[in-house]
Amino acid sequence: MNVTAAGPPAPIAGAPDLVVDGLTVRFGGLLAVDNVSLRARGGVITGLIGPNGAGKTTTFNACTGLNSPAAGTVHLGDRRLDGHSPAWRARLGLGRTFQRMELFDTMTVADNIALGRETLLAGRRRWTGRLFATPSEGTLCREAAERAMDHCGIHHLSASTVGDLSTGQRRLVELARAMAGGFRFLLLDEPSSGLDVSETEQFAAILAGLVGREGVGILLVEHDMALVRAVCSYIYVLDFGRLIYEGAAADVLSAEIVKAAYLGSEAAEQTA
Amino acid sequence: MKSYLPFLVAGLTNGSIYGLAAVGLVLTYKTSGIFNFAHGAQAALGAYLMFEFRERIGMPWPLAGLLSLLLAGVVAGLILERGAALLASASVAARVTATVGLLVFIQGVLIAVFGAASLPTRPFLPQKVVEFPGVNVRVEQLIIVAVVVVAVGGLYLFFTRARLGLATQAVVDDPALLGLAGTSPTAVRRFAWLVGSCFAAASGMLLAPAVALDARLLTLLVFFAFGAAAVGAFSSLPLTYVGGIGIGVGASLVTKVVGEHGFQGPIQSLPVNLPFVVLFVALLVTPARKLVERGDQVVRRPLAPLTFSRRTNVLGVAAGLAVALALPHVVGAKLPIYITALAYVILFSSLGLLVRTSGQVSLCHIAFAAVGASTAARAVSAGFPWPLAVLVGGLVAVPIGALLAIPAIRLSGVYLAIATFGFGLVVQRLFYASMFMFGGRFAIRSPRPQLGWLHTGTDVGYYHVVLAVTIACLALVVLVRRSRMGRLLRAFADAPTAVDAHGTNTNELKVLVFSVSAFLAGIAGGLLGPITGTAAAASGVDVGGFDFSVSLLLITVLFVAGRQPVLSAVIGSVLLVVIPSYATGETAQRWNPIVFGSLAVLAAIAGGRSLVELLRSSRRLRERAAEGSPVRERLTRPAGTMAARPVAEGAR
Repeated sequence: MNVTAAGPPAPIAGAPDLVVDGLTVRFGGLLAVDNVSLRARGGVITGLIGPNGAGKTTTFNACTGLNSPAAGTVHLGDRRLDGHSPAWRARLGLGRTFQRMELFDTMTVADNIALGRETLLAGRRRWTGRLFATPSEGTLCREAAERAMDHCGIHHLSASTVGDLSTGQRRLVELARAMAGGFRFLLLDEPSSGLDVSETEQFAAILAGLVGREGVGILLVEHDMALVRAVCSYIYVLDFGRLIYEGAAADVLSAEIVKAAYLGSEAAEQTA
Repeated sequence: MKSYLPFLVAGLTNGSIYGLAAVGLVLTYKTSGIFNFAHGAQAALGAYLMFEFRERIGMPWPLAGLLSLLLAGVVAGLILERGAALLASASVAARVTATVGLLVFIQGVLIAVFGAASLPTRPFLPQKVVEFPGVNVRVEQLIIVAVVVVAVGGLYLFFTRARLGLATQAVVDDPALLGLAGTSPTAVRRFAWLVGSCFAAASGMLLAPAVALDARLLTLLVFFAFGAAAVGAFSSLPLTYVGGIGIGVGASLVTKVVGEHGFQGPIQSLPVNLPFVVLFVALLVTPARKLVERGDQVVRRPLAPLTFSRRTNVLGVAAGLAVALALPHVVGAKLPIYITALAYVILFSSLGLLVRTSGQVSLCHIAFAAVGASTAARAVSAGFPWPLAVLVGGLVAVPIGALLAIPAIRLSGVYLAIATFGFGLVVQRLFYASMFMFGGRFAIRSPRPQLGWLHTGTDVGYYHVVLAVTIACLALVVLVRRSRMGRLLRAFADAPTAVDAHGTNTNELKVLVFSVSAFLAGIAGGLLGPITGTAAAASGVDVGGFDFSVSLLLITVLFVAGRQPVLSAVIGSVLLVVIPSYATGETAQRWNPIVFGSLAVLAAIAGGRSLVELLRSSRRLRERAAEGSPVRERLTRPAGTMAARPVAEGAR
C-alpha cells in the first residue's frame, strides 16, 4: 500500500498549497468521499465544513495517509503525497491534529510538545535516528517546544501531565505540538470542540498568529461557525461525501444550500 | 481411501468439540470486547467438576453433567460478565492480563485440588458401535456431532431471528444506542457470557473421556479453539464452527499421513500442533480490517508511572547492589535459586520494555529465552568463548523477535497478544524438540564460563558473572528508556497514530522494540542453562523451564510487580523465583499460580496499578479525604441548598 517506508524527504519550503484532486474513499459499500477536489492555499486558513458524517475527517485521513483512497491524488506544493506513509508525509511538512485528541497522556506538556519536533527528527535521520538524539537535535527540540508553548500561552503548564488537563488545555497542547513540528501545512480537525466561548476566541487569535507570522497554511474542519467566520478566508462545504459549495467565507455561510445541508431543509425554508 | 474414513470420523468428533468451544469464545469476545484466554481453563473446570460429582460423589452422569454445567457454565458465566464489565475501559494489556491471570488461577486451583497427574475417566455417552459402509462409528461420536450442530445451529438461528439475538448483534455495534432503544446491553452481555461459558464447560466435559482428565492438557486442547476462532476472524460464528471442524479433521488426517510416511523432525509433531499453526497463520493472512478490535472505544487514560527522586534512585541502586553482593555469603546452598532469579530479572525487564513501555503484549517471552539458551549452549560446544556464546544466543533471538514484529505491524492490541500466544506454542511444540534447539540424542551441555583465574565455575563465581551481566542488561534497559527510543516508545504506547502523524514510522519502532526485548530475553536464557549445566526444555530451577506457561506467569507477575523498569523486574523475580523456593516443596509450587493469577486479575481490574501504586494511591486518597472535598461538602449539605454543578467538564 505505502510505496516508501523510510526515505527521508527534505522538508518542503515556502508556503505550499494543499491540492486534493478527484478524491474518492470507499468503506465497503459506503461511498464516504465522492470525487472531491479542493485547493487550500498556503499561508491562509481554509475552512472545510459540513454536517457530521459528511466525510471531512475521511478527507483528512486520506491527505495524511491513514486510509487508502479508491481514486484521486493529493499534492503538497509540487510533491505528490498519495502512496506514501503517514510518517513520510509528516516529514515532508504536512501536520495534523485529531478530533479525538491523540496526546501522549502519561507525559508532561513540555515532553509532548518537544516530541512534536523529536518524532520528526527521529524519522529523518537514517538508521540511528530512532535510537538516540544528537545534542544539537536536543537543543532544537527544546527551543521549538519553548516557542510553541509561548505562542499558545501554555508555558505555565509545561510540567503538568497531559492526562490531567482540561479539554481546552489539551486542545492547545495538541496545537502546540503540531507547531513545534515546524510543519508547512496543518490539518486541524475540530480544534474548538469542547472549548468554551472565551477559549475559542483565544484559539482564533493563536491560529491567526500562526498563519500570519509563520506563513503556515491551514485546512480547518470546524463546527463552530463563529470561529470559521473569524479566521477562514475561503470555505469548502461537504455533504454526504460530495463537495456541495465553495466560496469566500461570507458568501458560503449565507448560501441556502449550505443552510439546508447543515440545519435540514425545513430550517432553511423557515429562515428563507 | 477407505483407510482415511476412521480418521475422518475421529476428526469430525473432535472438530465439533473445538467448534463448540470456539463459538462460545467468539460470542463472549464479540459482545464484551474481552478475549477470554481462560476459556480452556473453564472447559477443564467443567470436566473436573463432572468428575467430582460422578466419580467421587457417585451421582448418575446426567445429574453430574447438569450440575457441572450449572457451576462452570452458568455461575461462572455470570461472574465473568461482572468481571468483564469492570474491565471494559481498561487498557489492552490489562484486559489480556486479567484473563491470562484467570487461566493461571483456575488451572492452579484444579491442580491444587485434584493433583497434577492426569486422572482416568470413564466415557458417559453410549459406546455402542454402529456399522456404516466402510467405517465403524460409536454412538458417542454421533451424539457429540449432533449436540454441537444443534447448539451452534440453535445459536445461529437465535441470532438471526430472535429479538435478544438481534440485540446481541446490536450490542457489538453500538451498546449506547441499544440502551437508548430500551434493551439493556448488560442483559445481552450476561446472556452471551452465560452461553459462552456453558459451551466452554460442555466442550471440556465432552473432551475429557477421550483424553483423560488433565488440567494442562484440557486447557491446551481448548486452545485449539483459538485457531478455529481465528478462521472466523474472531467474528463470524458459522465460520468459527467450520474452522473448528476443519481443524479437527485436518489434524486427524495429517496424523494419518505423517504416520504413514514416517516424517522426522518438526513435521512429525505437526498434527497435534496444526491448530496453533493455523492460529498464527490466520492472524498473519487475515486482512487487518477484518480483525476489528472490540470494545476499544472508551479506554481509560493511562497512568503515568511513578517516578522517584534522584536521591531515592541512587540510594535504591546502592542498597540493591549491597544486597546482591552480600547474598552469596548469606544464602548458602540456595545460591542457584538466586542465580535463576537474576536471569529472571533480565527477563522481566525485557518484558517490561515491551509491555509497560511500548504497550504491546507478548505472551511468548519464554520462547525467546529458550532460543537464547539452546543457541548459547550449542555455540559453546562449537568452540565459541563463553561470553561470545551468550551474546550470540541473544543475537539469534533478535531476528525471531523481529519476525514477531510482523504480526505486531499488522495487528494491534488483543490480536497481537493472541498471535504471540500462538507463536510461543508453535515454537515450543514444533521446535523445542528439534535439532535446532534442545533436540538430539544427548542432552546439550551448557557449561559455565572458564574465565582465567576467576573461579567462575563454582556457584559463587557463576553468581557474580550473572550479576555482572544482569547489571549490564538493566543499564541497557534504563538507557533505552531514557534515550529517544524510550521517549518514542512511551509516545507510541499513548497515541500511536500521533507518532506516525509526526514523522516517525511506528512499524520500525515495533521491529526495534521487539528486537531489543528478544535480545535481552535471549541473554537471560543463555544464563539459565549453565545453572544446571545442561540446556533442556526444562532448564532453570523451580519455575517451569521454558514451557509456554512460564510466559503467562511472567506477564501476570509483571502486572503485580508494577511499572518501574528496574524495580518491577526485581520485585517480579523475587515473587516468582525467590519466595516460592523458601516455602516447602510441593505446596509452594501449587499455591504460586493461584496467588499470582488472582493478584493479576485484581491488578488488571484496578486499572493496571501495581500493589505499590495501589498502596500509595490509597494513602493519597486518605490524605485527600482528610483535607475535605467539595463533593463531600455537597453531600453533607442539607437538601435544597445544593449549588449548581459546573458543566465545564461535560465535553470530556
